[in-house]
Amino acid sequence: MTKKKPLIDPKSLKFLTAVSSAEYSKPTLKMGALIASVFDASLGVVYVGERASEFHGSAVNLTRTNLDNWNIIHPGLEVLEWALDELKKLSPENKELAKIQFNPDHVYEEDGRVRVILPEEKGCRIELVLREGELVDQMRKEIQLESYDLAIIGGSQNKRHLAHSLIQYLPSSIFVLQKLNPRKKYKLLLLVDDSAATRKSVEWGALIAEKLGWPVRTLTVSKTIRFGAGYQGAADKAKAYFDSRGIEVEQFFLTGDPVRTFVEFAGDNHFVIMGASTLNPIKQLLFGSKPIKTLEQSDAPILIVR
Amino acid sequence: MTIYIDVLFWMRQKRWFLIAIAYGLVMHFGVTPPVDLNPAAFDALIIISMALILIITEPLPLPAIAMFMLFMQVVLGIDTANNVASSFMNDAVFFIMGSLMLAVAIVSQGLDKRLALAIIYLTGHKTWRIIAGFTAISAILASFIGEHTVAAMMMPVGLTLVRYAHKDPKKVAGLTAALLFSIAYGATVGSIGTPSGGGRNVIMMNYWAEFGAGSVTYLEWIKYVYPMVLIQIPFTVLILLWTFKPEQNNLDSAVRKLVIDVAHAGKIKGREWLAIFLFILVFLGWVFLSEDFGLGIIALLGVFLYLAFGLVEWQELNRKTNWGVILLFGAAISIGIQMNDTGAAQWIAQVIIHNLSKVIDNPAVLQGSVSVLLTGIMSNILSSSATVAVVGPIVLDLGGDKILIGYATAIASAFGYFTAVAAPACTIIYSSGLVKSKDFLRAGWKMGFLSLVSLLGLSLLWWPLL
Repeated sequence: MTKKKPLIDPKSLKFLTAVSSAEYSKPTLKMGALIASVFDASLGVVYVGERASEFHGSAVNLTRTNLDNWNIIHPGLEVLEWALDELKKLSPENKELAKIQFNPDHVYEEDGRVRVILPEEKGCRIELVLREGELVDQMRKEIQLESYDLAIIGGSQNKRHLAHSLIQYLPSSIFVLQKLNPRKKYKLLLLVDDSAATRKSVEWGALIAEKLGWPVRTLTVSKTIRFGAGYQGAADKAKAYFDSRGIEVEQFFLTGDPVRTFVEFAGDNHFVIMGASTLNPIKQLLFGSKPIKTLEQSDAPILIVR
Repeated sequence: MTIYIDVLFWMRQKRWFLIAIAYGLVMHFGVTPPVDLNPAAFDALIIISMALILIITEPLPLPAIAMFMLFMQVVLGIDTANNVASSFMNDAVFFIMGSLMLAVAIVSQGLDKRLALAIIYLTGHKTWRIIAGFTAISAILASFIGEHTVAAMMMPVGLTLVRYAHKDPKKVAGLTAALLFSIAYGATVGSIGTPSGGGRNVIMMNYWAEFGAGSVTYLEWIKYVYPMVLIQIPFTVLILLWTFKPEQNNLDSAVRKLVIDVAHAGKIKGREWLAIFLFILVFLGWVFLSEDFGLGIIALLGVFLYLAFGLVEWQELNRKTNWGVILLFGAAISIGIQMNDTGAAQWIAQVIIHNLSKVIDNPAVLQGSVSVLLTGIMSNILSSSATVAVVGPIVLDLGGDKILIGYATAIASAFGYFTAVAAPACTIIYSSGLVKSKDFLRAGWKMGFLSLVSLLGLSLLWWPLL
């Protein structure tokens, strides 16, 4: 594994987070900014607003043009302005970021979105984007357009079905923030099996362990008492990779129902990393997948690697 | 794997399109038409019901839905390509095209600042008077130039007052809602007043002519319908004040700041006078020449004059006009005509009458209540103009006086108070993010009830006198 070209380039990571309003999005934005700063990643902040019915779309656009003449900006741009201010408050030491002023006139309409043009200051890698439409569709388009590595989403109970759709359809890895406490020292729990996503999960695990100094545990769960060669091989390769990076790792092999075992083992003091499901998407839709079931049952923050 | 996810995602996004197709296939190949309905009429009903699913759920762009309605008429053998083409373009579509372009031309003149000063001059600083002024001006202007034009011009004035009243509009939520709804409901109430108030009025006039019900002049429409506008203005003001209870009784400081803002625009310029003069010409054309020339042709003439005098650039008109809506109305009217010609509309009307006559034995009451309730409900789900395009042929076949039923239908199509999707003015205020869906329900049921009562009063007390 160590000889292969890495799947993640830690020097050019791009993270994306979505905001809806100052009222509801502060925790997600705060965590997004924190995570991006830890990984020295660029952060895209996308506001996805409701799109007017196509019947009246041109009337709404005509009104917005007229409102521009009165210096009344799009409500989505107001949220993005708030997001930029919040990011400045979160990184008071970032002098380059502090210098950047939000100008609602400096926007560029392209590829079905509106991008706020920010001056390119060294040390400030922020994209502010306004989109209108359905959240999953718009985030998917944004990720495809900008090749984001990771989407950061909240995980509130009342938006579980939305989280499911995001996990199912977003083409990037997804970090579900549920109950993440930034002051808490978590243990990394990496779920290892013989699926294709395990290699990338291991790379993410190593990167997080290096950045945050969290202890690493790998967990391999078999439904029977016999662990196949694929599972054993994957666990060995994972350990070898961590060893090569000088990261200590504890290995666990348990038997039982995979999801129940993950959830019980993780409790609320682990940060879970697992690969996205390799099940046929139709089966995932009908019967659910391990990531979705784990998300449903667990209180731990989860990184689902795609 | 990725391709599977892409396909599944496409299916998720287009599920209503797939449902509509499945429904159409089952209906066409699996269901035998009723004995008293000919196959062409049955197919016209299948097309229109599929189109309704697509219009409400919007899985496809509107122009695609329009094209679907057109080619399906030919594919299913309802009519020839040339006949479908000729039913697609008519004066009502010209009017919708012209009025959408006129809206762009008028809004781009910057007359909203003059309008703001005029309203403040008339109303003073008291909140209730400003709300009354907003409602009345929006209603009166919308009755001539269309609700979307008025809402686009009034919104900046309303939002500026809100922002000057308090830095955080959420702290003055009642005032914000009352001001914004006075624009939306005012414009909606006014849009029925004259034929040029909304595309749906002209669609109804087109159906009258197509279905042999006779023609109605611009002034005759006003005579029958404008009293409804005048009755509803004070009702609307009272409902808004009662429902939203503005936090401030006096907007002294906000008004002063607004006046200072708009005073920067200086004296009214020659270009603005010309824009007003040209619109007056268009209006006079509608009043005195529409019987000979048609409302749509006069609207297009107005656009031509705005372009010829350099008051608006073609590029701007082209960019800001919703061509998709124009195509959709052309297609909807075309299928509406097929519904009439094939007997589909008459068949639905008979089914409704046959079933409801057991409950309501007075034919006039039955015809009136079906047309008003069906239109009122559908306009809250669809848009008001699309409702008239679809429901028009059916209600005109219910029996009774086609002209009066048509007036009642056109009026009821403005009862889309309950949702943000029905009327463009409602969508516009909703897009500000400062009013919520539940606000439409809070005020909407009161507006709906009083509008029904007003329409009943108009039809019983005023129309018999004419």
